[in-house]
Amino acid sequence: MTTTRAPVREPAWPLSRSAIGLWVTEGVIASLFLGVVAAVFAIFVPPDAPAPFPLLRWLVPALVLVYAVVAIGIRPWVRFRVHRWEVTGEAVYTLTGWLTRTWTLVPISRIQTVDVTRGVLQQLFGLSTVAVMTASSQGTVQVWHLEADVAQQVADDLAHRAEQVRDQAT
Amino acid sequence: MTRPPTTGRRTSPRIVLVHTATFRQARQFVPAIIPVVAAMGLGGGTVTVVALVAGVTLLSLATAALSWWRFSYAAGPTSVVVTRGLLTRSVRTVPNDRIRGVEVEAGPLHRLFGLVRVRVDAAAGSADKDEELLIDGVSRDEGDRLRTAVLTHRSSPVAAVDGEPEAEEQFARFDNRWLLYAPLVGSYLAVPFAAVGALFRLAQELPERFRPDLDGVHVSGLQAVSVVLVAALVVLVAGSVVGAAVVNWGFRLTRRGGSLVAARGLVTRRHTELEIDRIRGWTLSEGLGMRWVRAARAGALVTGLGDAARRGQLLPLGPREEARSLGVRLVPDPGPLLPHPPAARRRRIVRALAAGAVVTAAGAVVTPLLGWWWVLALGVALLVLGVPIGLGRYAALGHAARGSSFAVRSGWLVREEAVLQRRAVVGWQVRQSPFQRRAGLATVTACVGAGRGGYVAVDMDAAEVAPFTAAASDRWATDLAPR
Repeated sequence: MTTTRAPVREPAWPLSRSAIGLWVTEGVIASLFLGVVAAVFAIFVPPDAPAPFPLLRWLVPALVLVYAVVAIGIRPWVRFRVHRWEVTGEAVYTLTGWLTRTWTLVPISRIQTVDVTRGVLQQLFGLSTVAVMTASSQGTVQVWHLEADVAQQVADDLAHRAEQVRDQAT
Repeated sequence: MTRPPTTGRRTSPRIVLVHTATFRQARQFVPAIIPVVAAMGLGGGTVTVVALVAGVTLLSLATAALSWWRFSYAAGPTSVVVTRGLLTRSVRTVPNDRIRGVEVEAGPLHRLFGLVRVRVDAAAGSADKDEELLIDGVSRDEGDRLRTAVLTHRSSPVAAVDGEPEAEEQFARFDNRWLLYAPLVGSYLAVPFAAVGALFRLAQELPERFRPDLDGVHVSGLQAVSVVLVAALVVLVAGSVVGAAVVNWGFRLTRRGGSLVAARGLVTRRHTELEIDRIRGWTLSEGLGMRWVRAARAGALVTGLGDAARRGQLLPLGPREEARSLGVRLVPDPGPLLPHPPAARRRRIVRALAAGAVVTAAGAVVTPLLGWWWVLALGVALLVLGVPIGLGRYAALGHAARGSSFAVRSGWLVREEAVLQRRAVVGWQVRQSPFQRRAGLATVTACVGAGRGGYVAVDMDAAEVAPFTAAASDRWATDLAPR
């Protein structure tokens, strides 16, 4: 079977390159946490435990290793290639995901609130997330990991334009 | 009272009797009374019991009277104000333009005293109980006056067009023959189960000597089993019909001015009001059993309506054609649904078979090892069942967009078709997993500020996504089209 083209077009703009650093850091933290869990498992399970445990003693560290390779070495770059965003004349448009991809389009006229959030790690890398909320619980757009000043600019611009073109918003 | 009393209206004093009988206010004292009673003991026999009953009733009467005395409400030109509280006074003001709906309900005791309870639903989204005002115990006329006062003062363009008496038009009326559909509807079938469960609990708590002696009865033989089965079936059927009748008796949907009023209920009578201007679409849901007899239920998708599943009902149960024609009067149908491509059928079947495949594989391993042949049998049974389920799920899939509306349909256990106005869409979400990418499919969610918040077209042909979204919402959606 051939790989078909994407169902809809790609948003125009990539994220900030610092996002890769952020994702790698997140992967390192998660891997360290899982590594500690695996170590605890290896220490506390006696070596002469019954049936499935000898297998698990190898399987658990192996799975953690695979996760670490994927989360640190592969996923950040795939994500960076996939993630894109754009603010067009009438809408906010994003593409997120790494295996499963999600495109979200929200018209500026239906925007209800615009949030800018900066997580702890994001602050280290000078990044922010812009979240655009609508009347629908499922119609939320999050533009992850923009440079802080860009994010603030985008949020201000969106809030201002939403006020001008706002029709019923529901 | 510190507030000028001229603005406030009182509820009817008769509500004191209703609340005395139901212990509405006195209920909160129960945790306090139990230790007192426990300390005194119940050894005194009849006298103590009578005294206790009299005391509790008096307490209930006193608290009901106090809360009636301290309660007042006012429906002004700009807002509704409710003042209450015995020691801590609370004044709640709800601006008229924040009011989403008014519900008038009358329970059996309320009806006995000619009273109704008016529920004013304020604020959007969250179905928090604190978001509504409850004016309990006004006469039926006053309830109607309050309803119209609140709704016409609201600055909505429809309600305040002119001073003419509002035109009434009947939209739907429940035909009692439709109650016969009830045994095929899951939610009504649950009614007899709940009743039987309650009966058993009651029987457990009865003193020993009142319990029927069942130990002497020995059931055996095919005849007895079939008698029990038939009896159970009769109870199930009768119970579900009765349950449906209690809830839906005399259901009537009428248009009054700019709103739809639904009235229903045998014991508790309920009037619910929906603003037509806020209706964005409707859903037609058919359970597995209902599809057999071509029955369905219809519900309205209304923006900012709390508890939408109950309040938004257009037809609780009825023939599919009836339900559909009712919906079409509100939002026109976009025409026949387009089926999804064969790849979607393949995907549905594969997914329906997955559970069976896992169990079968496990069975193939454990049968030679442990002799658990039933795991294998279960797996094979699941595999065989998976095919019709997958086909059924595929048959439900469909979408259409034409004119001012669009429709999507999915579901197998409960098949739901949602018909929505173009203007209802507040965003689009397109998802594609790696498997869908290989099969050339994508799942599209229309984000809507009403109902569940999102309505999904599962496994649509990827090439159709852009045309569909463009046809099903306003100009902004053309941003999705590949350039």
